[in-house]
Amino acid sequence: MSAGVALARRAFSDARTRNGSFALLFALVAYAQPAAYRSDYPTLHDRLGFVHAFAGNASLRLFYGRPLDLLTTGGYSAWRVGGILAIFAGAWGMLAAVRALRAEEDSGRTELLASGCVSRPGLFVASMSGCLAGVLVLWAALLAGLVAGGLPAGESAYLALATVAPALVFLGLGALTCQLAPTRRQALELAGGALLAALVLRVVADTSSSLGWLRWATPLGWSEEMRAFAGPRPAVLALPVALSLALLALSATLWRKRDVGSGLLASSEVARPRAFGLSSPTALALREERWSLVGWLAGSGGFAFIIGLISTSISSAGISSSLRRQLRELGGASLTRPAGYIGLSFLFFVLAFSLFACTQVAAARHEEAEERLEAVLALPVPRWRWLAGRLALAAAGVVALSLFAGVLAWAGAAVQHAGISLATMVEAGLNCAPAAILFLAIAALAYALVPRASTAVAFGVVSVSFVWQLLSSIVGAPRWLRELSPFEHVGLVPAQPLKAGAAAAMIGLALLGSAVAVWAFSRRDLVGT
Amino acid sequence: MSQVPSPSRSPATGHRGAGPATDAAIATFGLCKHYGSTRALDDLDLVVPRGQVFGYLGPNGAGKTTTIRLLLGLHRPTAGRAEVFGLDAWSEPVAAHARVAYVSGEPALWPSLTGTETLDFLARVHGSTDAAYRAQLIERFQLQADRKVRALSKGNRQKVQLIAAFATRAELLVLDEPTAGLDPLMEVAFRETVLEAKQREQTVFLSSHILSEVEALCDRVGILRSGRLVDEGTLAELRHLSARTLEVSFRDTPPSLEGLPGVSVVERDGRRLRVEVSGELDPLLSVLAEHRVEALRSREPSLEEIFLHHYREPGAVTQRA
Repeated sequence: MSAGVALARRAFSDARTRNGSFALLFALVAYAQPAAYRSDYPTLHDRLGFVHAFAGNASLRLFYGRPLDLLTTGGYSAWRVGGILAIFAGAWGMLAAVRALRAEEDSGRTELLASGCVSRPGLFVASMSGCLAGVLVLWAALLAGLVAGGLPAGESAYLALATVAPALVFLGLGALTCQLAPTRRQALELAGGALLAALVLRVVADTSSSLGWLRWATPLGWSEEMRAFAGPRPAVLALPVALSLALLALSATLWRKRDVGSGLLASSEVARPRAFGLSSPTALALREERWSLVGWLAGSGGFAFIIGLISTSISSAGISSSLRRQLRELGGASLTRPAGYIGLSFLFFVLAFSLFACTQVAAARHEEAEERLEAVLALPVPRWRWLAGRLALAAAGVVALSLFAGVLAWAGAAVQHAGISLATMVEAGLNCAPAAILFLAIAALAYALVPRASTAVAFGVVSVSFVWQLLSSIVGAPRWLRELSPFEHVGLVPAQPLKAGAAAAMIGLALLGSAVAVWAFSRRDLVGT
Repeated sequence: MSQVPSPSRSPATGHRGAGPATDAAIATFGLCKHYGSTRALDDLDLVVPRGQVFGYLGPNGAGKTTTIRLLLGLHRPTAGRAEVFGLDAWSEPVAAHARVAYVSGEPALWPSLTGTETLDFLARVHGSTDAAYRAQLIERFQLQADRKVRALSKGNRQKVQLIAAFATRAELLVLDEPTAGLDPLMEVAFRETVLEAKQREQTVFLSSHILSEVEALCDRVGILRSGRLVDEGTLAELRHLSARTLEVSFRDTPPSLEGLPGVSVVERDGRRLRVEVSGELDPLLSVLAEHRVEALRSREPSLEEIFLHHYREPGAVTQRA
């Protein structure tokens, strides 16, 4: 048993960077929301005003889910904290499982351990225990943040539980994809697809007037149905717990039955040669990344289509009747126009495509860490060309994703006769690109200057920039400090005009940053793991 | 630390600070590489003439791979410089690499590509490949080229790298422990291929710690220890300058032989002595002449003995521990 404990501790300690950064993010957001609400809307009158304004910004539901009670600090916090951090918790669960299981297996360490004195089930239980300890950390961070933000401990603990519940489900789901996929990357892609599907279901349920029951079909909806600070229903917690246990049990069974190092979906080991993508390192990078790019296109395109589809059908049906009465007293809820809805929703794509840019730089770093880059740069390939090609490919990916999102949102809106032109939506799509390309350049700089930390820095800068808007207003940061975040400079096209100057400045900075990154990379040693 | 036989020390010393040694495939001038406080490579002066097979020996962590990374411009020298065909390895890597093929010790390739696709990619990016020879090498190394790299064992991935490198017919082959994962049959195929390259007057820089391989293939040998070149020369030169072993059987009690310059008794078994002699034999022979010697056998040191000789010196062991 002591071997199992040692392995569980090893898994927990391996995840310390991820656990630490997620816990910090969770605690900050959990503290900031109640604090901000209390300072921004101290009186009932202010809060009713906020509800009125919120009704005009229904797209917030896309990120935060359905609000149940916006007139109390607890209710508001449950919506803002639970809604978005539940998605993060799901992502955390999937990353944790794939890291603890599939990445270990890919590296060959699992083989070493499984050939030792630890049984197969013991190994699985140990890895998953390490991850479950991480769930506890997240829960504690949330609780600490909420209590520090002035909410009562008991109900905060319940909200924290509802928020981390998806982590349990996606931990199980990640464990399952680790049994199916033969590589870490494929396991992540499968689990990521499932998370996206869960999010799409929640968005449809929360934003449409007739499909609210779909909330029961997604683990992210279950968190909402636990209704923290708004008539709690603790029995709903049984759903994520049961599903998580079932997925873990299924994964453990499959794990016991399969070969170490393989996956149940293992593709053929023999293939006829295909000449596509072998002419240059950049072409090979495109070949290696093509399925990932297709996945991003499908995911963001599908999401954009739904945004377009529901842009005309936002209603206040989900808001409680007492709230609706108060809204009426204020002169009736101003329901969104499609353009406003789409404009706000597309901020989500700025974030998503920035994260995509980070994954591309992470892939470049992976190439170097695995020492494949040595094989390339020992050929007559200039270093600048390798990195510039890689960055150009990533930038082209961002532009393709942006365009595709714009076109599909237009298609969705056109189905509903929303009356938004294709040209407008192409503009709205392309409006997402400059900020994402700027983040690409920042990631490239991190890659050139601090290669080992580059992936963490890249994702960290994007996340911090995204929450900076919120945090900077809490700490009362001056305007110029708030405007450091590129997200501040994205116009809400099509509701607002495109901020051409800001976009041009971001692209200019990105070009400059990329040039410096390429220069710095050409002057440093290659660095292994 | 006992003295390194200085006459065999780098013939490149004379080139230090001078222009490129135009007849050399590889030349390094006071080449140093430090990683933080670790001196991975210290003041390396090395010349590998064109058309030679150069064996680069050293135990794990001696600085062999560091040297190669500097030769390929993958790492930047802390001091000094390296040249490949007179081109600076750090500032002119692309021109140099057009004439070089490299096999790394860790065969890190793209898991999703098949062997054929990998060879195709490496050939197209390198720019020159002898397709007929490549087919011959695939045959010789019995590579299952339609298998994906992720399904290949380490030895098989190593074959992919070797075939890609030799098929370029590059003027200089830089091989970093290339036979680490190969079975004995493939080792034979490897030696055959290196000798073919030598016949075509290609230069081979072979980093290895397989002494029999180096002994069989190399014209010259350099021995690296803790980042310093401790010996360099042809095998004959190294033998000449290293300790030779004498086995002497006496009819009566053997002499102590203590205090004789360059002589150390490594084994004493009754009337039989095993003695290592570095330098001149005369002092030992004049002592032996005063005793009744039954048998005397002299043996040249094997490369292994030369190698171990350099590593068993006091200080060396603790340094590497």
